[in-house]
Amino acid sequence: MSVLPPTLSGAVYDRGYRPYEGPRGGRRAAAIALWRLSVRRALGLRRSWRQKVFPWLLLAIATVPAVVNVGIGYALRDNPLDLADFEFITYREYVGVSTALLLFVALTAPDIVCPDRRQRVLPLLFSRPLTGADYVWSKLGALAAIVFGFAFLPQVVLFVGQMLVSDGALDYLTEHADVLWKVPLAVLALAVYYAAVGVALSSLTDRRIVGGVAILGTALVTSAIAGIIIGATEAEASPFAVLNILALPLGIRDLIFLGHVTGDTALAGVAGGGVLTVTAYLTVLGASVAVLLHRYRRVDL
Amino acid sequence: MSAVVPLPPLLRAGGLTMTYGGGVTALAGMSVEVPRGSVGLVGANGAGKTTLFRLMLGLMEPTAGWIEVGGHPVAQDAVAVRSRLGYMPEHDCLPLDQTAADVVSSFGEIAGLPPRAARQRASDMLDLVGLDEARFRPVGGFSTGMRQRTKLAQALVADPELVLLDEPTAGLDPLGREEMLELVGRLAGFGISAIMATHLLDDVQRVCEHVVMIDRGRLVLAGPIDRLVERTGVMRVEVGGHVSSGRLLAEALSRRSLPAQLVDEQTVDVDTRGSGEGAFDVVRDVVAELDLRLYSLSTRHRSLDDLFVHQAARA
Repeated sequence: MSVLPPTLSGAVYDRGYRPYEGPRGGRRAAAIALWRLSVRRALGLRRSWRQKVFPWLLLAIATVPAVVNVGIGYALRDNPLDLADFEFITYREYVGVSTALLLFVALTAPDIVCPDRRQRVLPLLFSRPLTGADYVWSKLGALAAIVFGFAFLPQVVLFVGQMLVSDGALDYLTEHADVLWKVPLAVLALAVYYAAVGVALSSLTDRRIVGGVAILGTALVTSAIAGIIIGATEAEASPFAVLNILALPLGIRDLIFLGHVTGDTALAGVAGGGVLTVTAYLTVLGASVAVLLHRYRRVDL
Repeated sequence: MSAVVPLPPLLRAGGLTMTYGGGVTALAGMSVEVPRGSVGLVGANGAGKTTLFRLMLGLMEPTAGWIEVGGHPVAQDAVAVRSRLGYMPEHDCLPLDQTAADVVSSFGEIAGLPPRAARQRASDMLDLVGLDEARFRPVGGFSTGMRQRTKLAQALVADPELVLLDEPTAGLDPLGREEMLELVGRLAGFGISAIMATHLLDDVQRVCEHVVMIDRGRLVLAGPIDRLVERTGVMRVEVGGHVSSGRLLAEALSRRSLPAQLVDEQTVDVDTRGSGEGAFDVVRDVVAELDLRLYSLSTRHRSLDDLFVHQAARA
């Protein structure tokens, strides 16, 4: 048996328990921590590569129209036919790339709330300095922030790219200054709404697949019902268009960009269509938050 | 000269009543005061242990009565109370797709620690519970014992004043149970009080200083274990060397005014309350006079099981 020389021999120390004497946050810190952890989970960070693929692929896909638009603008910048102002997609239309965002919400919203209930993590969370309302705002805020980011970043790419390939960057900036507030506001309205509806529907089940199907099903069913009713009345304009609840943020977008709802929705020709859109939007948003606060008002150990 | 202010008791409750919606009364007017240290909360399933934990955590309001944890009224600021507590539930409660290090540090952050401190504390706590080499493995692949240790680590990560342990040895094999009890027993040395809810009285007797016994929502008994299991005043003597050794001994002791009761042909229970330590000498002399063989002589202690059964029956 070999014996280690004295210089190489070691000793095992029982470090025991060391009390924590550093800073300690309260309820606000707990809510921010839960928000941060939920964002991390939704983006697939510190998770397997399979969980990372979808969110980042979605961001890439959502950015494609901006890149194409800027690329065409760059390619045609010296064209004598003056096609540099060619617009593959407008800022207003770009806010409505909502199908991809809706798919993202359908996959991510259940993933950030269903496992907490299914794996019975809620009792541990609520044994911390955290309330049910804190939980709701953290989860909702996390999803809204990601949807906002994924809808807003491509707009930034589009704006900066268009500015750089234009004849005069400063002129472009001043001509499109209104976009600087309209886009973030419209994207925020969309992100908060989709996040609230998505998380609320997901909170009703502890199975991710059921949550995802519920979100997509709500989109399809409400759209179909609105279409059938409007079709039955044979009118071009109908207040029943508000039943298509996942299209309501696009009405808000039009109000922000244009000041009125457009022909994209059957509300366009309805008297007070804008007010009806805002009312329906706030009602669905409020109902979603109410469902969430009710679902997490109490938790069993 | 500054006077030393004694720390408030771990738990105080007065007239604590909890009746659920269906009319089920989980706690019925319980009043109790529990000092700091290791406390066993003992009761059968449905006795009200988990309800008491819920009320301590402020996750529900009592139907009547009041409760204080560490001197803080739960009704006034449940969040402040929770910031001082760690909780280890009985059931599975861990995110299975995360590593142990991520799970523990996440709960550290949610308990209010800065992210960097939470990661460091998570590493220390997993080391403490013996999971240092498994910290980067997903919890979903852990055995029951490893999951229990992870649950204990997350309860300790924010350095709580008090940890609530709900059946910490449930589902563990004998070795795992030993290791868990050893860890729980060490908490007092770290300055952390613990309330361990269990129906295993042996576990409580091994690692706790105090016990609170509840039955069907009522307090049965509370106090320091040492005092509760004090000597019963009965000496058990086992003898041999004759077919009726026990009977001979019992009769001889009775003649010496030492009440003795025959347990079996070789065993006698001697009531020593009237004679004190001198009873040992008398037993020794009588055994020698009868030419019997003395196999064992011991003072009997009450067990917590005896106490619980006796007190619950009285209640």
